[in-house]
Parts: sequence; C-alpha cells; structure tokens
Amino acid sequence: MKKLSVVVAGTGQIRDVEIQPGTTAGDILHQLSLPDYLLSRGPNEPFFAAAESIYDKVSDGEKIFASTKAEVGVAACA
Amino acid sequence: MRVKLLGTRRAPISIREIFSRMGLRRVPAVTVARREIPYWQERGWTRDGNRYTGSYQTPYAAFQGWIDVERSGHIMYYLLSPSTEIQISGHWACFAQRANGWYLVHMSRRPKDVSSGIITIERLITEAYQ
Repeated sequence: MKKLSVVVAGTGQIRDVEIQPGTTAGDILHQLSLPDYLLSRGPNEPFFAAAESIYDKVSDGEKIFASTKAEVGVAACA
Repeated sequence: MRVKLLGTRRAPISIREIFSRMGLRRVPAVTVARREIPYWQERGWTRDGNRYTGSYQTPYAAFQGWIDVERSGHIMYYLLSPSTEIQISGHWACFAQRANGWYLVHMSRRPKDVSSGIITIERLITEAYQ
C-alpha cells in the first residue's frame, strides 16, 4: 500500500488516498469523483493514462496533481 | 598485556556532535499544516479581478504571462516572447501574435480552471525543449 496526496489544481484542495498494486489513474479519479481530470506527477511530467497502473510509478507519500483536460491545439486555431 | 595505551586525543567534531545529541531529550514532533492553495497561487501568480499575472515555469525556461477570465467563463492565456524552441515546436501554429511581443495561446480543449491551463502551457514549453 502507498499513500498519495492528490492536489486538485484548481482549488489546491488535497485529497489523501491509499492505493494498492495495480491501481490505475482512472481508479483514483473515479474514487475522488473527478471524472474530467487527469493525473500527473507535475507540470513537467506527462499525464497518466486512465488505464495505466500508477503504483510502481509513484512513491509512498508523494504529491501528485489532478488537473482538468486541456490541450493547445490546431482545432481552435483555424 | 595485549593492549598498550599509546595516548589520548579528542574525537573529531562530527563524532562529538553525535554523542552530544544522544544526550538530548527528544521534543514532541510538530505537525506542519499543508497549504491548500490553487496551483496558480502556488506558482506565484497574482490575481486582480479576472486577470492573473505571473510566469509559466519549467526546468528549461520561464515565460511571463497573463490570463484573462472573460465574463463568458472562457479563459484566455497570453505568453510573452516565446523562444525559438517554442517557435519550431508543433504547437507554434496555436500562438497568435498580439501587441508588444505578446502571444495568445489557443486551446483546442479549454481547461475548466486557470490552474489547469497553466499546467498545460508549462507542459507544452517542457515538450518544446525536450
């Protein structure tokens, strides 16, 4: 088991969770009722895919970020 | 006699400090409160009404920025003087030039809060440098 602190970027609210091996990013977001969010270890790290197991990619006690989906993209440039 | 005393000398400071600490009484741990603040605030941005000013920060570079939250709720992100690395990145087409070196950063998927947009742009900058 590992403990994580999930910082919700927009509010700064910190949600403490405990995860077991095999827990995915989607599991955490679902548990925290943050369906429109993505998890990452920080702004300089890529987002975890929803189906990605993150247990081995985070450290016990680590702070990770939940932010809403956003994309700098061509679609809006036209 | 198997041991012969050759003399006595002072232990190094580092060792003396260890022993001196052992004699100290342990004081109760202090719980440090966590700061629960939005990401924009944690990164040093300031807010004046619907306008935020600060900088997009990455390990590679930082760029001055400002953000406007329109009445409609749309959030407009501006970045000053994007570097060559950004200009040759795949996202350069989404930087629309404004006056005095400022560029509006278009979002194809708009973030729901200011902080998420800052994170997105900081990630874009990081990718441009990698």
